[in-house]
Amino acid sequence: MLEMVKSHWALLATATLLLFLILIPFDWFLGQYTTLMIFIGISTIVTVGLCLLMGYTGQVSLGQAAFYGLGAYFSAVLSKTYSVDPWLAMLIAAAVTGSFAYVIGFPIFRLRGNYLAMATLGLGLIMWILFRQLSQITGGPDGMAGIPYLSVGGFVFDTSFKRYFLVWFFCLATLFISQNIVRSRSGRALRAIHGSEAAAESIGINATQFKVKIFVLSAVYASLAGSLLAHHLRFVSPQSFDFLASVKFVVMAVIGGLASIWGAIFGAGTTRILSDELLLGFGQWDVVIYGAILVVVMIFMPEGLFVKLKELLDRWRLRYTQRETEP
Amino acid sequence: MSADQFLQYLISGLTMGSIYALVGLGFTIIYAVTRIINFAQGEFVMLGGMLSFTLAVSAGLPLAPAIILSVLIAAAIGAIMYLFAIRPARNASVVSLIIITIGVAIFIRGIAGELWGVDFVRPPYWAGSESIRFFGAYIHPQALWIIGTTLAVTVLLHLFLSYTMVGKALKACAINPRAAGLVGVNAKTMALIAFALAAAIGGIGGVVMAPLTLTSYNVGVMLGLKGFVAASIGGFKSPIAAVVGGITLGIIESLSVGLDWGPFTSAYKDVIALVVLLLILLLWSGRLTEEERAG
Amino acid sequence: MSESILETRGLSKAFGGLVALDKVDLAIEAGKITAIIGPNGAGKTTLFNLIAGVYSVSEGEILFQGMPLKNTPPHKRARLGIVRTFQHVLLFGNMTVLENIMTGQHPRSRYGFLAAALRLPRARHEEETISLNAMKYLNMVGLGTHAEQSAVSLPLGQQKLLSIARALATEPRLILLDEPGAGLNTLEKRELSDLIRRIREMGISVILVEHDMPLVMGLAEWLIVLDSGQKIAEGTAAQVQKDKRVISAYLGEDEE
Repeated sequence: MLEMVKSHWALLATATLLLFLILIPFDWFLGQYTTLMIFIGISTIVTVGLCLLMGYTGQVSLGQAAFYGLGAYFSAVLSKTYSVDPWLAMLIAAAVTGSFAYVIGFPIFRLRGNYLAMATLGLGLIMWILFRQLSQITGGPDGMAGIPYLSVGGFVFDTSFKRYFLVWFFCLATLFISQNIVRSRSGRALRAIHGSEAAAESIGINATQFKVKIFVLSAVYASLAGSLLAHHLRFVSPQSFDFLASVKFVVMAVIGGLASIWGAIFGAGTTRILSDELLLGFGQWDVVIYGAILVVVMIFMPEGLFVKLKELLDRWRLRYTQRETEP
Repeated sequence: MSADQFLQYLISGLTMGSIYALVGLGFTIIYAVTRIINFAQGEFVMLGGMLSFTLAVSAGLPLAPAIILSVLIAAAIGAIMYLFAIRPARNASVVSLIIITIGVAIFIRGIAGELWGVDFVRPPYWAGSESIRFFGAYIHPQALWIIGTTLAVTVLLHLFLSYTMVGKALKACAINPRAAGLVGVNAKTMALIAFALAAAIGGIGGVVMAPLTLTSYNVGVMLGLKGFVAASIGGFKSPIAAVVGGITLGIIESLSVGLDWGPFTSAYKDVIALVVLLLILLLWSGRLTEEERAG
Repeated sequence: MSESILETRGLSKAFGGLVALDKVDLAIEAGKITAIIGPNGAGKTTLFNLIAGVYSVSEGEILFQGMPLKNTPPHKRARLGIVRTFQHVLLFGNMTVLENIMTGQHPRSRYGFLAAALRLPRARHEEETISLNAMKYLNMVGLGTHAEQSAVSLPLGQQKLLSIARALATEPRLILLDEPGAGLNTLEKRELSDLIRRIREMGISVILVEHDMPLVMGLAEWLIVLDSGQKIAEGTAAQVQKDKRVISAYLGEDEE
């Protein structure tokens, strides 16, 4: 009975959400927020990867912006400087970023906890400095402009309206894939590693291998998001990939509830709305608020804001349906 | 590299290494007493430098009171951090604590960016800027202050831990918190002292460093990372090891930058330094012993 | 003489200069319940961790079904058919009871990230088998009604049973139980003994390290006694209880 009620609710919620998402970019609805929504979609893709890595597997990455930047710069340089087809550039970017994550994954995941966090932080800093210093390739601190749009056949994604659908197609695909992984044999293995690495190993789970795999997946997601960013803005610069960018992804994951796939939209949404709308032009106060959010959420609801809200909603719904079924 | 150049790099390595040593000391003190890695440790170095600039230049205080006040304010902020962010998070996991201290770090850094802007500032030199000739190389007087201060802090910390009641209690807490609790040492008080002390030492590093290296609201991350590696060389166990680690790191960094890398000139200084840091982290520390793996 | 499932030859382990296990030769008979006993610091846990693959071998060798194990990591041993439980249970607290056991099926299933991501038919088939098998083991330990509960919400006795079920789900040839009786009451211990006998009936060899003497004596068909890192005796419960070296080893020890 409860199962049926639950799946009904889920179906209804999904349908409403989807309709809402489709209508957003139309001018008579919420058209003025199209650009904001594009950024939310891009951030969500990175955040989902981080949720898989942090929330499900219990590992930390404070350098996710490195992969985000690699994706953006590979797409930018290949498609602009070398006139490679943007889609192919995107694919190469993801492949190279993923391979890079794989190669560094094995030494890095010999570390854990605090050491792992510091190593990923260092990695993020290295990539950020390289983006700035390799100015002959990347354009240096000023960044690089004139990146071509993505296109399919003769259809060019040259307006925000068009790119909105492109970005959200990728975003929802990422969420769908991640949800499937979480509910699978591999998903259980990841959660097992989070629960107890020793126990996971004892029942045949190769913990290092799974950590590296999920690290690679999160890097590929971030690279994909970076490519989308490059072809959306047609401009990339190192500021988008600094230490603070990495921390902002952690903030998004934390608000979304680390171990929640759909929470990533909520986390990315809240954070982007705060930074790009409410506190735009207020200097660094958004960063101050993020700092406070990280501290408060981790102290009072380590499972994350979104998960806490969902829990409250579930409890309320349960009470509501019980009252209905009582004679 | 000529002998003179070598000496010059050695001196600059020793100078920067001293700063890393002070940051490493902060990590070690907090970790020993609370088993927490404070990712905001670098921010106290930033605070020390920025505060001393504000007090000595903007507020026009004489140098000595400005320096002392800066360190005291940094210590107070360390204590506040413990009381409001760390103590309420009892039983938090390692990942949660990392996120909490990162939160504190960007909180402090954001406010600093708002208060002081994003430009680099230079507090006044402590003893002029005329370099002293030392064999074939030159030493800046501020570098002497940096090295001397680090030495003094290390000795004073050692005396404090060995000969005062509070120091001995801290040490007892670090070795065995439960046993320390049994003989009446309050672990929470000790944690509070550890945070304040670590923040003060970070602040000292900041005030003495800033005149030479300049400082800005965002120097904390890089210094934190380097201090962490310094402390990790000593396994976060011994303050002396953290100091030795910091100085070793400074010298390795300075020499690796000084070596002739062909096209990889000083533009890549930080990259080389960071790669060295990561290699140390990967090869030297952070690996599990068999006993730890057995759970 | 029947076949042995596990053998050790001159097995030694030193931590720094400290020798924890000193040239131990063992032959564990297949299909039996074998207990490793000995006073504190005898080297039981060390031996256990060596067989489980948590520690690396300092000297000597371990053979599983005649095959040298060398320093095969724990996850590979699980695939070969050696599984262990933990004294501190170590259930996955972020999962339900059923999911804990389903995770135990890991080495007996194959489908990976890609099949999962795209929900390929292969993934669905395997998932069905996994949940069916998991339910089987769940019912075997009598926790069928708790399937959807959070694993750590169970009382300790049931947690121990669950951790054994999770281990059985890997379909092992040999199961190593680390202090399974610790912290259990009389009733729970009886249930545990019962379960261990049923495991043996499934043709799985059992090795247990246990402090609880009545439990061990009632269960184990063969006992191995360690003291100061050396094997001092082995035999049936009756033989071991009469052994002079065993008696003196235990008399020399303070009450636990």
